[in-house]
Amino acid sequence: MLFEEALFVTVLASTLRGSMPMLLAALGETYAESAGILNLGIEGMMVAGAFASFLVGLQTNMVPLGFLGAAIIGAVLGGIIGFLVIGLRLNQIVVGLGMTVFTSAFCNLLHRIIFGSQFPMLWGAGMTTEIPVLSKIPIIGQPLFNQHWLVYVTLALVPVLYFLLYRTSLGLRIRAVGETPWAADASGVNVYGIRYLTIILAGVLASTGGAFLAIGDLAFFIPDMVKGRGYIAIVVVMLGRWNPIKVFLGSLLFGFALSLTSALQVAGLKVSPDFILTMPYLVVILTLIIIAKSTSLPAALCVPYKRGE
Amino acid sequence: MNNQPLIRLKAITKRFKGVIANDAVDFDLYPGEVHTLLGENGAGKSTLMHILSGLVQPDSGSIEIRGESVNIRSPYDSLRHGIGMVYQHFALVPNLTVIENIILGFEEGLILNRKRTESVLKQIFKEFELSLPLDEKISNLSVGERQRVEIAKALFHRSDVLILDEPTSVLTPIESEELFNTVFSMRRMGKAVVFITHKLKETIGISDRISILKLGKKVAEMSGEDLRQVGEEEGYRRIFDVMFDNTQLPKDTTTIKRSSEEMPILELDQVVCLGNFGEMRLKKLSLKLNKGEIFGIAGVDGNGQKELAEILAGQRKVVSGRLILDGNDITHEEGAGTRTDLGISYITDDRMQEGCALSMSVAENSILRLFKRPPFSRRKIMNKANINRHAEALIREFDIKVSGPDVDVGTLSGGNIQKILLARELSLHPKVLVCNKPTQGLDAKTTRYVKDRLQQESVRGTAVLFISSDLDELLSCSDRIGVLYDGELLDIVNRCDANRENIGKLMLGIRQ
Ligand SMILES: Nc1ncnc2c1ncn2[C@@H]1O[C@H](COP(=O)(O)OP(=O)(O)OP(=O)(O)O)[C@@H](O)[C@H]1O
Ligand SMILES: [Mg+2]
Repeated sequence: MLFEEALFVTVLASTLRGSMPMLLAALGETYAESAGILNLGIEGMMVAGAFASFLVGLQTNMVPLGFLGAAIIGAVLGGIIGFLVIGLRLNQIVVGLGMTVFTSAFCNLLHRIIFGSQFPMLWGAGMTTEIPVLSKIPIIGQPLFNQHWLVYVTLALVPVLYFLLYRTSLGLRIRAVGETPWAADASGVNVYGIRYLTIILAGVLASTGGAFLAIGDLAFFIPDMVKGRGYIAIVVVMLGRWNPIKVFLGSLLFGFALSLTSALQVAGLKVSPDFILTMPYLVVILTLIIIAKSTSLPAALCVPYKRGE
Repeated sequence: MNNQPLIRLKAITKRFKGVIANDAVDFDLYPGEVHTLLGENGAGKSTLMHILSGLVQPDSGSIEIRGESVNIRSPYDSLRHGIGMVYQHFALVPNLTVIENIILGFEEGLILNRKRTESVLKQIFKEFELSLPLDEKISNLSVGERQRVEIAKALFHRSDVLILDEPTSVLTPIESEELFNTVFSMRRMGKAVVFITHKLKETIGISDRISILKLGKKVAEMSGEDLRQVGEEEGYRRIFDVMFDNTQLPKDTTTIKRSSEEMPILELDQVVCLGNFGEMRLKKLSLKLNKGEIFGIAGVDGNGQKELAEILAGQRKVVSGRLILDGNDITHEEGAGTRTDLGISYITDDRMQEGCALSMSVAENSILRLFKRPPFSRRKIMNKANINRHAEALIREFDIKVSGPDVDVGTLSGGNIQKILLARELSLHPKVLVCNKPTQGLDAKTTRYVKDRLQQESVRGTAVLFISSDLDELLSCSDRIGVLYDGELLDIVNRCDANRENIGKLMLGIRQ
């Protein structure tokens, strides 16, 4: 009984924590895709965010500055992708994959140059913030209300981003740009401006997600720590049909799969650990099979826009 | 009339790769007038108006609004100057709702205020006698309704100038009348309307002034009042004179008499099919098409015409009943490619979405669905030289205004895109030709030419199913006319017995 309760608490807490990097990245991706940009650079942005946050945190010895550093790097990377696919109208898939391959390798290299083969810890990272009264609720109090501050911020972001996308003029413009850019342009909407805005937002959120992984959830950086979470975020966005609330639920599903992986290992189940580790990816494949038939992508996804063509 | 023009375009010139779309064009627009722009397909009408709406930047020339020189760098600028445009191929976002489309770009504040928008719209709808389902998605609307959304949008912007690019080529005659009423109320309010059309009758009917473009140059300006005074015939002649360089009005040549023996080639037997929302669209429809006849399908839009065309083209499932071609049951041989191979060609009424691949070249579009056949390909390898030769022949034959077969179809003028579609399907010499509004967007000369070609095809033995909502067009070239009403063929009338009254009544569902 006690064991079961402990397991439940652990799984709940780690589901929430584990889903955060994907959720942040997926929320940004929701905006970019809604405006017609498929950001395959998302994985690289997460790696860059994780590394930048760790490096900045370590250098300044101030964890919050690490998050700020990650956000800035994310904005810059988003801006670069934006320039390539919006300004130069290069192929989004090539640019995105190129960005991922490049930044991952570059962070790896930089890490090796700076730290050699050591993986130092960042002291003070990974601290949780207990919310007074609420965290005292039995059973769910601790897992839900004793989390990292970024978890609370991200959760608050979900309804805000939903509202912004579906109830405001900005959201309307974003959705129009992703669907029929020339019609949006003819209506006086700044198509390029909207697309830059969303890809930069996607960069900021993806890198912040990466930062959470390195200095929110943990307190160190390993070059391959993102492990496809960026790509999973893309699946989550399709699963959630560009709706931040559903994207949140989808992220929880994957967070749950991830946390079960560790819970099962802890519980000492007699299954090959390799198999357990593949669980989240199995979930990806299953969801893709289920949703593949019924997904209607934003019509102008991956299509560059130029007025008068 | 006011002597200060609302809009003055001076010496506007615009070149695209290989073509000069506008060549030093002057164009004035006064408050309270309807100024009609005429010209052949590809004459530069849409381009000139795109320059005014900010979608296209001119190479040279200047624009004055209310006497002040302005710089229109984007549609945003143009909209803020009170210019609204209804585009030839609607600028609407299909999966957003009517109300979302109307306010797009003109939302007030960050948070959408539905109540306020709705009350403003109600006012406008009342003023201009419009009506629209505000929460319906655009993709579920008919073309006529879509156009009303665009007009409502321009009115919502409080535009002083409304540009209508070929509004009537997609409208039924009744819808056109409604549109004219809206145009007249705008004129009464002192707004200015630019009207692009290929229909001379309505041109003379509603214009205050008429400008004619030819190969990018403005070649004439006429007064609508003058034309009305000299009478229709003389009015047409004057317009034709400048537009096509010949005084001869194209004559109706529909007097070819064919042998009247009946040789059914295509038979529909109790065909039932469903619409996009699972509703029944064809209700046990039976019909025999004879070799070498032109069978007109009349009816108010939305009574099953589209579905009828699509089941024949193999793009829609037959739920029950049979299709028999040349004695063979082809009900289950579906797919556009299969039907083309069987000898059924289809000219869709939706050239932009279904008819052509806009981002592909003219040459590629000229062989869509044919690319597997020799001489265009052998052993799965395409023969580019043969394809280009074929495309060039079609370009010449249909007088398509394009600089070469490699140009993307998307950059062509509306009428020229329509010609590509026609050229491709007609070049197949099919057994059965299904065409839905084949002449929409074509200038008068090309319309005549297409009708002649349909005649020739039928003389050659092709059975033509000619769907149109334009009664005059049907009466002038069909051997028999069937009237489609609510998914049923109400009656079939022979050409000699058909007239506007009896067909018109049937179209409204009134059986004699
Ligand atoms: N974006 C573009 N790129 C290249 N050529 C273009 C482009 N837009 C228009 N053109 C060319 O400019 C010419 C004029 O086109 P425009 O659309 O103005 O004709 P139009 O008078 O509106 O004809 P229609 O009656 O067929 O609609 C055509 O030859 C067309 O191919
Ligand atoms: Mg045009």
